[in-house]
Amino acid sequence: MKAVTIDGQPQVRRDKGTFWRTFLRNKYLYAMSLPFVLWVFVFSYYPLWGWTMAFQKYKPALSFGEQQWVGVDHFKTLFQDDTFYQVLRNTLAMSFIGIIAGFLVPIVFAIMLNEIRSMAFKRVAQTVSYLPHFVSWVVVAGLVTKMLSTDNGAVNDFLMWLGIMNEPIQFMAKGELFWGIVTLSDVWKETGWNTIIYLAAIAGIGPELYEAAKVDGASRLRQIWHITLPGIRTTIVILLIMSIGHLIQIGFEKQFLLGNNLVRDYSQVLDLYSLEYGLQMSRYSFGTAINIFNSVVSIILLFAANGLFKRITKESIM
Amino acid sequence: MKREMKWSGLVLTTTLFAGLLAACGNNNDNAGNASPSISANPTATSSASEDNLAPLTMTFYSEDPNPNWANMQDEVGKALTATTGITLDAEYAVGDPVQKSSLIAASGEYPDLISAKGSISKFVDAGAVLDLTDLIDQYAPNIKKVFEGQLGRLKYSEVDPAIYVIPSYSTVGQQYFNAGGGFELQHRVVKELGYPQIKTVADFEKAIKDYLKLHPKDENGNPNIGLSLNADDWHMFISVTNPAFLTTGGADDGEFHIDIDTQEVTYHFRRPEEKEYFRWLNHMNAEGLLDKESFVQKYDQYKAKIATGRVLGLIDQDWDYGDGEKALKAEGKFEYGYGHYPVTLTSEYKEASFWPSGFMAGNGLAISKDNPDPVRAIKFLDYLASDEGQVLMNWGIEGKHYKVEGGKRVIPEDVNNRKINDATKFQKETGIGNYNLLSAHYGDGVKDPTGNYYTTNFPEQIVAGFNDVEKETLAAYGATTWRDLFPKEEEFKVRPWGASWNIPVPTESDSVVLEKKLQDITWKRIPQAILAKPEEFDKIWDDYQKELIAADVEKAEDLREELVKARVRMWSE
Repeated sequence: MKAVTIDGQPQVRRDKGTFWRTFLRNKYLYAMSLPFVLWVFVFSYYPLWGWTMAFQKYKPALSFGEQQWVGVDHFKTLFQDDTFYQVLRNTLAMSFIGIIAGFLVPIVFAIMLNEIRSMAFKRVAQTVSYLPHFVSWVVVAGLVTKMLSTDNGAVNDFLMWLGIMNEPIQFMAKGELFWGIVTLSDVWKETGWNTIIYLAAIAGIGPELYEAAKVDGASRLRQIWHITLPGIRTTIVILLIMSIGHLIQIGFEKQFLLGNNLVRDYSQVLDLYSLEYGLQMSRYSFGTAINIFNSVVSIILLFAANGLFKRITKESIM
Repeated sequence: MKREMKWSGLVLTTTLFAGLLAACGNNNDNAGNASPSISANPTATSSASEDNLAPLTMTFYSEDPNPNWANMQDEVGKALTATTGITLDAEYAVGDPVQKSSLIAASGEYPDLISAKGSISKFVDAGAVLDLTDLIDQYAPNIKKVFEGQLGRLKYSEVDPAIYVIPSYSTVGQQYFNAGGGFELQHRVVKELGYPQIKTVADFEKAIKDYLKLHPKDENGNPNIGLSLNADDWHMFISVTNPAFLTTGGADDGEFHIDIDTQEVTYHFRRPEEKEYFRWLNHMNAEGLLDKESFVQKYDQYKAKIATGRVLGLIDQDWDYGDGEKALKAEGKFEYGYGHYPVTLTSEYKEASFWPSGFMAGNGLAISKDNPDPVRAIKFLDYLASDEGQVLMNWGIEGKHYKVEGGKRVIPEDVNNRKINDATKFQKETGIGNYNLLSAHYGDGVKDPTGNYYTTNFPEQIVAGFNDVEKETLAAYGATTWRDLFPKEEEFKVRPWGASWNIPVPTESDSVVLEKKLQDITWKRIPQAILAKPEEFDKIWDDYQKELIAADVEKAEDLREELVKARVRMWSE
């Protein structure tokens, strides 16, 4: 929204005349943003109409007027289902671990890259580290299962070669390891990619700050602590707020591809649950109810995180 | 200058946006693409001569992907279009077929022809498919002939006796000349051990154990694997849970065991016999004969493992592990291929793979209410069901893919070679095998009025497809095909309900959710029980049974029993 008012004056008085004047002055800018406003409306707001399904006993063949209304029955079913609480736990757990790892590792990695003096090495390291981002989860899941396999899997072979253990471990069969495996594969795949944005933020910090610090005799670590980190704080906070908003929507590819029946208690997530118990059984209404729950929780989380950071760090996205 | 730039930007964005809208709105035109011009190919044969042959394209959706579909540009497809004027524009489910069917059923825009297997109930509930009773009666003499005396079995349900589907998966008069299931052992295993009797799980276990003792490792020093199971997603049914009833004398009725006389329904994991089967698998694991990765590996890993030739034994169907075996055959390692043995838990049971279900109707093709010309659609399907049509789709074109010598249809040597060794390309070019699942047809072993088999699967042809090692093994067991080792169909009573997995369940029924919950529990508990220490097996099994009861397994059984009994009533009318 900043772009719209970029060549307008800061609006002090908000009477009708000035609004139209600004509007006329910026008519091209408004016109240019119109398609995107429409886009958002068509793809994000218009589908909300479908939420009505959650309160109906929806049947595909009938028109809207003919649907039978059932109130909040589907929500009752949902909240009475034990499986639901289990998948909710798994979703939130993997999300939280994912957010912690997904912030710490890329930030540390970005700072480390930034401290490297050899440009050539820095470039190579950066490129190599973000390449896995472009590999599909299907392939990554195959790699991970192969690496952790008990039948000539690299990890087991290595550990046995080191003499740490005599018997290969069935990593993929242990439910309590599943969250860790998912997080680690995610870190491997996305760290390099997530680093890019922090590197860009670091590049925007004025070199005179570092020079001044050096004159004052600050060590490399002091410079990181007092200049680099505060310099990218805004970026970190904004990204954090946004990912907290997505806490509950972690998708299902990783869990679906890496999971198996033995770790089911740890691998089922909300999206899989709504797919299996909603769409696949033609329980369209029930599936919609789950997704309404999803959206409501996301909005609450987003506002809570935003409010919290506004108070603590004076930074927020709204 | 600045002004112009702004204008050009505006023009650009609006054009892009208009393009977007246009792209969104264009989807619906495909269905009615038929041009009204007169057919370029008026050479019609007798069966459709007086009919309208104007080219007409119908959209066709199937849950079963056919990678060899060539948009009817193959030889058989061209012949079909020439005779009927109809071209099919096929769309197949990618990924999970049930999900795809649900989406189509919910979208309200239906393909003209729908082959949705078990998901057809979603379309029926949505009112998406036509009742074909009258259409068949008026326009489809050949379909009527194929289903003679069994037309009543096409009815959807007792409550809704309409015909929505022309069954094409279940064939009429099918005889099984070969077996692809049971338990599998590599030919080298039985050969080295002097072809021991393989009848019970104990025999099977002994064979694996003895061979592993002799050859613990393969030539590269990797350990040989005794028995590997395929438990990735739905393969669980094929390789882990279905064998539990097949080895204990139960027919395949999906997740249920149905008493042949009283039609009492039991969730099959509650049978005490099956507990013993899983106890045996648990024992196999404890002995180190079961592949540790059985419940972790993905399907492709399983196939890759088989392709290394290290897996001595399997419990699977040939179509499920076939890709792995093909790789071995391609390398000429025929002794690493698998034979099929009718293994049971103990000798008192009969292996039930071939328990007859009779003609069971069910899965097939439906005509949607959006179909532009249902009459021509049914005539097209009727042509496929005619003698001429069935020979065309099974044998191909006379003079090209088969010859008639002395009244007998023969496949020339060179064509047959291509058919076996260049199967994919052959199917793509000729289209043989691409049209079998569209309409009613006879099964293997049925002869047409000229005295020839309708299909190309008959004993001589099957034996011709065996390699020498396979023939040697078969000969050692005194059999011509694997089928000979299994109990005969006559030894069983025909199930009057067909097969329970083939009964459509209304989408609103409680049993949909109930059965899914039970499946979740079972799929979690069975691997646990098998991988547990033997002394813990009983406890896990008891917990599992309690969990089933808590999940209302009895209600699921009752609901299923109602469905089965309703079908028996309907079919015996």
